[in-house]
Amino acid sequence: MPVVTPRFVDHAWRRGCDFIVLDLEDSVPQHLKAYARSLVKDAIRNVSKGGAEAFTRINHDTVLADLEAVVWPGLHRVKYPKTEYAEEVRLLDTIVTRLERERGIEPGSIEIDPSIETAAGVANVYEIAAASPRVREFGATTSGYDLSRDLGVEMFVDFDQFVYAKGEAELAARTLELGVRAAPFVANTTGSVSDPNRALRQAEAACKCGFHLGGGGLNPAVVEPHNRGLTPTEEDVRDARWVLEQHRQLAGSGETWVEIEGRAIDGYEAARARDTLEWAALCAERDQEKAEAVARTKAAMAQQSPPQK
Amino acid sequence: MRRSWLVVPMSKAEQIAQAPRSGADVIVLDLVEFVADEDKFAAREKVRAAINTVKAGGAEVFGQIDPESLHADLHACVWPGLSGVVVPRAESPAQMVEVDELLSGLENERGILPDTLKIVAALETAHGNHAAYDISRASRRVWGVTLGRADLVMDLRPEPSNEIHLMPYLMQRLIIIAGAARVTPIGAWWRAPDRGLLATPENTYHAAQRGRAIGFKGAMCLRANQVEPLNRAFAD
Repeated sequence: MPVVTPRFVDHAWRRGCDFIVLDLEDSVPQHLKAYARSLVKDAIRNVSKGGAEAFTRINHDTVLADLEAVVWPGLHRVKYPKTEYAEEVRLLDTIVTRLERERGIEPGSIEIDPSIETAAGVANVYEIAAASPRVREFGATTSGYDLSRDLGVEMFVDFDQFVYAKGEAELAARTLELGVRAAPFVANTTGSVSDPNRALRQAEAACKCGFHLGGGGLNPAVVEPHNRGLTPTEEDVRDARWVLEQHRQLAGSGETWVEIEGRAIDGYEAARARDTLEWAALCAERDQEKAEAVARTKAAMAQQSPPQK
Repeated sequence: MRRSWLVVPMSKAEQIAQAPRSGADVIVLDLVEFVADEDKFAAREKVRAAINTVKAGGAEVFGQIDPESLHADLHACVWPGLSGVVVPRAESPAQMVEVDELLSGLENERGILPDTLKIVAALETAHGNHAAYDISRASRRVWGVTLGRADLVMDLRPEPSNEIHLMPYLMQRLIIIAGAARVTPIGAWWRAPDRGLLATPENTYHAAQRGRAIGFKGAMCLRANQVEPLNRAFAD
């Protein structure tokens, strides 16, 4: 969200997000950039009140001024748009390292998330992802908005348009053993960024493909469907338990797999099932954590301003 | 001609006995994926005889060996009559060099002409795919590359389109690299519900046709009834 729009920033903590991105880039007009920088320190505290992690997206060409404004305690991640060279990431790392030291922030704690949005970025993707240990999550994006502009193509087509670019980014993330962000293809021919149904389908597709990381959204209406889609359903959990039960019965039989009701049950299926159960438990834990943070903040606010008689 | 590669577990006597009648161009005697740990030792003892059994139908024979137990598995597999080995989860050029050297020693020891035995590297991990070009060029013995069961090893699951996540990219990448390194790309363009080389005969045929159209020159399978569709789809 644009850090200069108070009605977005002030309400963000109630939305149930896992993370909130305070934007200094495309959503902030040029003449408000300096003002925007002055707001970030307070906004970090403000948006974190509901248990969400605070991220910022800085501008490609004003790295030093932006980092001076955003690297404060409570910041989890700096998103760097339109990354094209590993050198850019190394420069960011150097500045963040100095600011962490000067401002009493745990060394190495702030992540860098280089976005790949241009052809040059795709061509250098492995070196970019490998450029700093602060890059801990990496991969493909669901939108492709800037990439389609860079390539001069129409986006929102009804087929998987960026197979190569997405594949390069994901293979780099996997090879470097980073957290993998992936974007299974779900057609978006309407161009809407606030359609909750599409957000749900996109998140469900990612969950079914075994991914746990969401890419974020531009409208609060997509938060709940996004979280719901990435959380295993009760049916998923029941099915995972069934798979593990079938797999247990294989032990000692001399067989490495068995076919039951047209499905292969083997060590790979069992690993997927265990992953589903672990992820379902983590989702429940995170939901609880956020609910408690929201409740604490509401209680504190009620104390500060008791209801009028 | 290596259009169809039927993988047969060394622990299944019945499947080995039937393999010569399968019509497969290549029979892969597996010591890795489908042999339970407790059966590995006994399985290794049986390879020499199995090579002769399955060759009776005119097929070539490869052994699928475990990179974690290269020594034991190569000692068990390398006998006259073997055409080469499949190295699953291949990850580095150094691994290919090691297999190459072990093969040279065994060829010499067991009266096989030098440089007879080929390597097919199955790139089933991110590291393996990242290093595909260097792996393909690491030894003159590397004859082919394949994605094997990467969908399972890398946990790549079906997307809503039924394409298996990341596979369209990995297949295209592998075929280009294989062409550049002058090795043979082996594989088929599987789609859900196909999984880990398993599919109905009809789906196998379509997967092989799609695979052939993007450059694959033959494919692996797990069931005898997948052999005929592979031979048909990859026929010249």
